[in-house]
Amino acid sequence: MFEARLLKASLLKKILEPIKDLVDSANFDCSPVGISLQAMDSTHVTLITLLLRSDGFDSYNCDRSLSLGLSLVSLNKILKCAGNDDFLTIKARDEADTVTFVFESPKSDRISDFEVKLLELKNDQYNIRDSDYSAVVKMPSAELQRICRDLSIMGENVTITANKEGVKFSVSGDSGSGNITVRPTTDTEADLATTIESKEPVVLSFALKFLSNFTKATPLSPTVKLTISETDPIVIEYKIDDIGYLRFFLAPKMD
Amino acid sequence: MYKKGLQLKPSGSGTAKAAPTPTSSYKSGGGGYDDEDDEDFDDEDEEEDFDEEEEDDEVDQDEYDDDTGDAMDTGADDNSSKQIFLWSRKPVPNLNPRSNSLIFQQLEVDYAELKEPVEGMPGPKAGSRPIVRLFGVTKEGNSVLCKVHGFLPYFFIACPPNFDVTHCKSFKEALNEMMMSKMPSQEVTDIVVSIDIFQKKSIMGYNPDPLTPFIMITLILPKYVTKCRDILENGHKYFFEIPGQPVRQYQTYESNIPFALRFLIDKTITGCSWVELPATTYKLSTTPVSTCQIEVETSLDTLIAHSPDSGEQWSALAPFRILSFDIECAGRKGFFPEAEKDPVIQIANIVKNQGEQEPFIRNIFTLKGCSSIVGAHVIPHDKEVDMLKAWRNFVIQVDPDLIIGYNIVNFDLPYLIGRARALKINDFARLSRIKSTISKVKSTHFSSSNLGTRESKEVSMPGRTQFDLIQAIQRDHKLSSYSLNNVSAHFLKEQKEDVHFSIISDLQNGDDDDRRRLAVYCLKDALLPVKLLDKLMLLFNYTEMARVTGVPLSYLLGRGEGVKVLSQLYRKAMKEDFLIPTYKVSTKGPKYKGAIVIEPTTGFYDVPIATLDFTSLYPSIMMAHNLCYSTLIPAEEAKKLQPTDYTLTPSGDYFALPRLKKGLLPRILEELLSARKKAKDDLKNETDPFKKAVLDGRQLALKISANSVYGFTGARVGKLPCIEISRSVTSFGREMLDTTKRIVESNYNIANGYKHDAVIIYGDTDSVMIKFGVSTVAEAMELGRHASKEVTKHFIRPINLDFEKVYYPYLLMAKKKYAGLFWTKPDTFDKMDVKGLENVRRDTCPLVRNVVSVILRKLLIEKDIKMAEEYTKSIISDLLQNRLDISLLVITKALSKTEYKGRVVHNELAQKMRARDPSTAPNLGDRVPYVVIQGLKGAPIYEKAEDPLYVLEHNILLDTQYYLDKQLKAPLLRIFKPCLPNPEAIFNGEHTRTIAQATLSTNNKGFFGALEKKKVCMSCPNTLTDEESTVCKNCRHREPDLYQTCLSNVTALEDKFSQTWTQCQRCTGSLHQPVLCSNRDCPIFYMRTKVQFDLVEAKKTLDRFNVEW
Repeated sequence: MFEARLLKASLLKKILEPIKDLVDSANFDCSPVGISLQAMDSTHVTLITLLLRSDGFDSYNCDRSLSLGLSLVSLNKILKCAGNDDFLTIKARDEADTVTFVFESPKSDRISDFEVKLLELKNDQYNIRDSDYSAVVKMPSAELQRICRDLSIMGENVTITANKEGVKFSVSGDSGSGNITVRPTTDTEADLATTIESKEPVVLSFALKFLSNFTKATPLSPTVKLTISETDPIVIEYKIDDIGYLRFFLAPKMD
Repeated sequence: MYKKGLQLKPSGSGTAKAAPTPTSSYKSGGGGYDDEDDEDFDDEDEEEDFDEEEEDDEVDQDEYDDDTGDAMDTGADDNSSKQIFLWSRKPVPNLNPRSNSLIFQQLEVDYAELKEPVEGMPGPKAGSRPIVRLFGVTKEGNSVLCKVHGFLPYFFIACPPNFDVTHCKSFKEALNEMMMSKMPSQEVTDIVVSIDIFQKKSIMGYNPDPLTPFIMITLILPKYVTKCRDILENGHKYFFEIPGQPVRQYQTYESNIPFALRFLIDKTITGCSWVELPATTYKLSTTPVSTCQIEVETSLDTLIAHSPDSGEQWSALAPFRILSFDIECAGRKGFFPEAEKDPVIQIANIVKNQGEQEPFIRNIFTLKGCSSIVGAHVIPHDKEVDMLKAWRNFVIQVDPDLIIGYNIVNFDLPYLIGRARALKINDFARLSRIKSTISKVKSTHFSSSNLGTRESKEVSMPGRTQFDLIQAIQRDHKLSSYSLNNVSAHFLKEQKEDVHFSIISDLQNGDDDDRRRLAVYCLKDALLPVKLLDKLMLLFNYTEMARVTGVPLSYLLGRGEGVKVLSQLYRKAMKEDFLIPTYKVSTKGPKYKGAIVIEPTTGFYDVPIATLDFTSLYPSIMMAHNLCYSTLIPAEEAKKLQPTDYTLTPSGDYFALPRLKKGLLPRILEELLSARKKAKDDLKNETDPFKKAVLDGRQLALKISANSVYGFTGARVGKLPCIEISRSVTSFGREMLDTTKRIVESNYNIANGYKHDAVIIYGDTDSVMIKFGVSTVAEAMELGRHASKEVTKHFIRPINLDFEKVYYPYLLMAKKKYAGLFWTKPDTFDKMDVKGLENVRRDTCPLVRNVVSVILRKLLIEKDIKMAEEYTKSIISDLLQNRLDISLLVITKALSKTEYKGRVVHNELAQKMRARDPSTAPNLGDRVPYVVIQGLKGAPIYEKAEDPLYVLEHNILLDTQYYLDKQLKAPLLRIFKPCLPNPEAIFNGEHTRTIAQATLSTNNKGFFGALEKKKVCMSCPNTLTDEESTVCKNCRHREPDLYQTCLSNVTALEDKFSQTWTQCQRCTGSLHQPVLCSNRDCPIFYMRTKVQFDLVEAKKTLDRFNVEW
């Protein structure tokens, strides 16, 4: 028997927002540790990992590990029926072929439940090797979202140049080119600060289409962490308050 | 067949002992050699069962026994005289022009300019003149060139008022002067030979008046005709006027017909017919210009043409020599072979005489040594130059009448000629029968509404007809791919090994055995066209078509349909003094309404449905209503006539009734159809398979010709379009269909004493489907026959509504889309008939075709809707789990233009492939195979198309959802809609809930080097500890089960792999050499590659159990 209760159904909505356009369906792996998800988009350019630790839930009960294969399209439709402040309970029996979502309004005057049929998804799971980074950039997530939005107007690919002095996002397209440079800040409060840890200068290019999609996760966290290294995919991490994280791995563009 | 027939069967006699035969010593490794092929070929033999077959075999056998000893070393060195003797034709029997007549079957007709007159032959006294050259073969098999003197090009214009015989001379002088000034030449003194007046009539429009005068203009050479016509049509541009006449534009008549065809028409010679030169009317050429055995000069007037239907001897086929060849070239890696750079390394040849069962020469010219091949003569050469020279000599010696092969016109021949030029072998291109003519390669565009645009090359080779099988098959058959592999798989049920040309160089640079391998492959490529030619009866069908329509054989492949009708029209018109105007081609013209369909009442009919057809609908309408150019009455003219004199067609056009004037087209059609009837009757009584083939070819040719007459009148870019005729034909068709519906429904109803009301559930162009309501096939047949007679009474003969068949059960899905069991006898059905469904269309993937076929079989034959539904669900489930064979999912589309407006799938892919590797990328005219892979959400389909081979090699996941939604769904829904209450249920439900997802493909290592596969429990998502390798501690109890499943999976895959592998080894013909094939048309190839991948994966999984025995 699996049962997990979240105080805010909207959290799941926010998580789904950046994922649903990249993958059609995914396995939510539930274990005593928590709920995790790993999915790759069909072009094999990005990998998405999600972790929601069990201690972050209002209540969490999982005797045996199980996978909940869900169509994100249908999940998204169901979540639309939930109010932002509703409590969410996810329930599944062992070896079941359905999962139940229960929404409870804060005043407990309205309870709705939805049963969703499960998919059996066959895919491989991957371990992510910890690797050396060349630069780690922490910045306000809204800032990254804005950069991606602004640069998308000009072209399809963004080149990220990071060194101690700052991070430069540059784009060039048919109509011209543009650069946005972000410098480290010291004076502002922690959430809105930009910090750069740089071991060595690094230059990489990425598809803006994907980056823009990732920034749909902005509501999850005020800050975002970019881990950049020459040999590995860029990691874009959104911390989810007290409960876990959502990470995107994006392969750099090769010419 | 390599075992049985030796390639060198002496054409003379008594030479068997000396014959340089190939060795039979190559036994090792040949054990399983071509078993498959032998069987297939033998089967064919039995089917056709020619009389000579047994004798031939015996002869071969004798030789074989005698000669096995000395053959091995008879290469190209010491054998030339013997070989040439064997290759050559039989010597000419004594031919005395004074006492013997010369009779031959002509195959190829062209003309040449002769500088000087030949004594005793008609024609101008001096200067250049045209001669018509007839190339042919005598009954004995000797090649003939017959040069006909005295035929000059001519055309007509209408005689202007006040022009009579006295003006001819001044007109001639004026025109001649104009022509000489526009096209000055030393060769001729006069361009205009004569101006005469004849009494003729234009074919256009009904004209009750007697003949009127027309001026015939005769020129000296065909090349002047176009200019001269232009001068007369556009006199004002040239400031030309006929003396005594004002400047005006003249309509010319019969001025755009090919000169050689004009000759055939005037002499009433049809294509491929027999020609006789009576004794004393011809003489042997003193200085032969050709390599033909017999070369004669004769006069236009004494030549006798024998019509093929004037006697059995004249319908026979002479023993032409057919050479089939194929070349291999050693390309460089990554490039398609170019004649300037890449050598020709092998040329395989198969020569056979028409009428004989087995080829008598099978040989292969190779560059560098090559191990011997059973049943074929290997002729090695050290230098490419020597090889090409030797091959050219071989061709001249063999002297083939017909050169066939696969794609020879666009590839092999131009390549050889280009290669010879690059190597500076000057004489190589003299392949034709005219010694002085060098074969040249010309690029042409051929486009027709029927076949689309094709880029093609043309190789001039006077005297030898080139018959490229690929062109014939493209014309006659709609296939998903026209590669030789696919074509032979389709018609001969033989897959063949396809050595990719990038491997060819490696094999060539290997040892003698490697080259032998290549040679075997090359020989097979030369043999397959011969087999196709036999199997498809192409030679019979095409010669009969040439005879029926009167055009030479080479026109049939090289030109469109129009010329065939035109030739018949000219022949008919000439007899009646009609002249055919030459119109300028214009693409504009009013559109007219096509055929009609009676809206289908869709459904699954579990009662017999009778089908009535109008036999030869369009031809019979034209005959019944006397529709012709010569009976067309303009609307204002019609007002002057009595209404009893004409027919007003439903489209509002007027045509004279037969009692005023019987049209030419109706008469042509009548002749064609009665000739067809005769041919069919003869066919029934004929027992000789050869004659049967000829007759069958003829009746088919007659049918096609009759049907193409309608198309000819409707073709707006054709030679003589007449929209009035074609729109009248279709309007009559529509009216007749409506009439039929009315009569049937008003007669066969309960009110008239029948048990049920008859309903027309569907009708299309020439057929109507009637539900009489009866429950047995026999009753439906009875009523159908009755109704057909009843309805026919209402129409003018020869329109005939015929009861043909009953469909039971019948699944009607939409217009032109239906399926049913086809009954012509009340006791058993004949076959399953499917129209317009995906299983016959080729723009879908084989999966759709297969599934649709199986479902229809289950529905119609087994009548088990439940089973059909279950089957469909299982296929969908397999599809979503990526368990289907990729070959089932390959879609092909023809790359027919160089530039497309939008971004179309196959063009985008072709460009992608070109960027990857230009040598394997598809070219214009090729069909591009692709599969749809998973891409970004919302990505356009053209971004998701990928080369199937690339997909296999890189283990990319297919977009199964696309195949389900875009390919399978619509056709399946269409089928199930009439049968099931809720057909949508097939596409969602339990069976769609297991889905295979993208796994990281190997080529992505660069991007995701940071990732490694996580060891996960095989039954739940728990990560495994280092000690565990299969399941986590919670799932222990399931381990044995999982192991079982895994093991049986591996075993099944192993079985499948060895099966496919064996299949490929058989096809390759060798058990202990690696299989090199990369045949993209072969389903086995894809299956083998996919199984290989799957097996490796499955083994890895199995290894995790680490079971030790």
